[in-house]
Amino acid sequence: MSADTKYAKNLALINKAIACEPVERIPLAYAASAFSALYMGVPLSQYAVKMGLQTDVSLAAMKKLGGFDAQNAPSSGAPFDVVLASLWLSKVQLPGRELPENTVWQVLEKESMTVADYDYIIEKGWPKFQNKMFAKVMNSPWDFKKFIIKTILRTPFTNRRFKKDGVVVLAGAIGTYPFEPLCGGRSMHNFFMDLYRMPDKVEAVMDVMLPHMIKGLIMGGKGSKGLGVWVGGWRSASSLLAPKLWDRFVFPYMKKMVEAVTDAGLIAILHLDQDWTRDLARLKELPAKKCLLNTDGMTDLREAKKLLDGHMAILGDVPSSLFSHGTPQQITDYVRDLINDVGPTGLILCPGCDAPFNTKFENMEAFVAAAREFGNV
Amino acid sequence: MGNSIEQTVGDLQEQETLDAVKAQLAQGADPLEILQTCQKGLDIVGQKYTDGIYYISDLMLAGEIFKQVSAILIPKLGSQSATTKGKVVIGTVKGDIHDIGKDLVVNMVTAAGYEVTDLGVDVPTERFVEALKETGATVVGLSGLLTLAFDAMKETVQGLKDAGLRDQVKVMIGGGMISEDICNYTGADGWGNNTQQAVNFCKEWIK
Repeated sequence: MSADTKYAKNLALINKAIACEPVERIPLAYAASAFSALYMGVPLSQYAVKMGLQTDVSLAAMKKLGGFDAQNAPSSGAPFDVVLASLWLSKVQLPGRELPENTVWQVLEKESMTVADYDYIIEKGWPKFQNKMFAKVMNSPWDFKKFIIKTILRTPFTNRRFKKDGVVVLAGAIGTYPFEPLCGGRSMHNFFMDLYRMPDKVEAVMDVMLPHMIKGLIMGGKGSKGLGVWVGGWRSASSLLAPKLWDRFVFPYMKKMVEAVTDAGLIAILHLDQDWTRDLARLKELPAKKCLLNTDGMTDLREAKKLLDGHMAILGDVPSSLFSHGTPQQITDYVRDLINDVGPTGLILCPGCDAPFNTKFENMEAFVAAAREFGNV
Repeated sequence: MGNSIEQTVGDLQEQETLDAVKAQLAQGADPLEILQTCQKGLDIVGQKYTDGIYYISDLMLAGEIFKQVSAILIPKLGSQSATTKGKVVIGTVKGDIHDIGKDLVVNMVTAAGYEVTDLGVDVPTERFVEALKETGATVVGLSGLLTLAFDAMKETVQGLKDAGLRDQVKVMIGGGMISEDICNYTGADGWGNNTQQAVNFCKEWIK
């Protein structure tokens, strides 16, 4: 089978899954950045910063594992500290630099913006503030403009390489709504207190930020030629926030962003870490069959299936702890049960979030084997 | 003293609580008694969390209210001191630099009346052992967000055994990805992925 034919078949399969239509087999997606490097014997200090190497390593790992239908969100090619700093507005520590070799990169969750910065954003706009903050949190010789230009130039090339292997790129660009960078910049404790103490000000800031964030995400997504974009949430999870805060500061912004990207012809991949079970019913307000619920093992997917069946497909969700400390049999059981309970329609199998760097090789191999064994419908 | 402060803490009314504390002090109320009333308010908060009425953000606000109340009252205690219910050592284990979850637990366990030694992040086993010996604490909390923390937690528990402390110290582990399996793997006595669980363990283990 030629690469083009394989890609076309995989794309059709993925599209059926997203549309919650019957499939001949359950599609299998990959999400294992740091694992890929270690699986292929590449030091994480190199993998984290070398443009091009991330794509090489991911493709090689996918091939060694026997092939996948899709890649969740390939690395943009920019160093990981640059990418994560743009999402978190926080400094990032890297292996081989601040951290020991072959350990995973980590966000330093410290306050990097003040309450006065809210007024700066309202007065001078989000892009100007983003430039200022980027310079403050970056440890690499990158500025925001360089990051955007390099990313925009690189991602179509990266995604073409996946396509040449017949692999569908789900999220060609990654983004989030205003809550997350503000939470990263202020630090979680300070930001949560801001939500209680100065809600009107935070809301005004978010209203200024959202149009820019939507525009940037759509531009990145369209330019990448991927199927969709990530709309990510982690500290804005239902389990962390009082309903009155979630209803005001999370969902309205998520909804507007999702509606805008789907109107632009992109699939919205709701990359939701932590537990979102409380608010799953609200996801029915998002456009039907144009989103993927991409969870990390903490949200109750049985409940999601009950509430969202036929409306939104699921992308997930073998938990990180199972990959790192479970056994192949536990992985096999998890995948089988997931397919039985949540599939076969509206499901794309994938590691939850991103399989961790210390995933046991035999566990990732068991994941692929289980998907093949139980995924045929 | 009425129950108004207990209720305002329980209802997460920050300004009302601070105003009431200041007003009661001005009227000559005993600062220790006010502090204890606030702790009862925190019990209401904990119960509401357990009942699914409050969420993590609410626990954070409760901890913040209590911190401010303590800042007002503790300097006024003079020769009196708030009775410590027990001593607890808490830290994020070696290799993990995340402190948000750990800080939350430190705040809430402190607010619940325990004396907490906060060892910070990326804490090696030896430091936990030293701190337990120095303080005589009978509970240790090991925090970690990443999967790399699981091995560090296991090593720390082993370190406590090697140091001859394991029989005297209860170990709780916490973090977003912790589960019963991980608890068994590390050899800890209990696990949780919320701050209230840590408070509950302290209440259960320190009599």
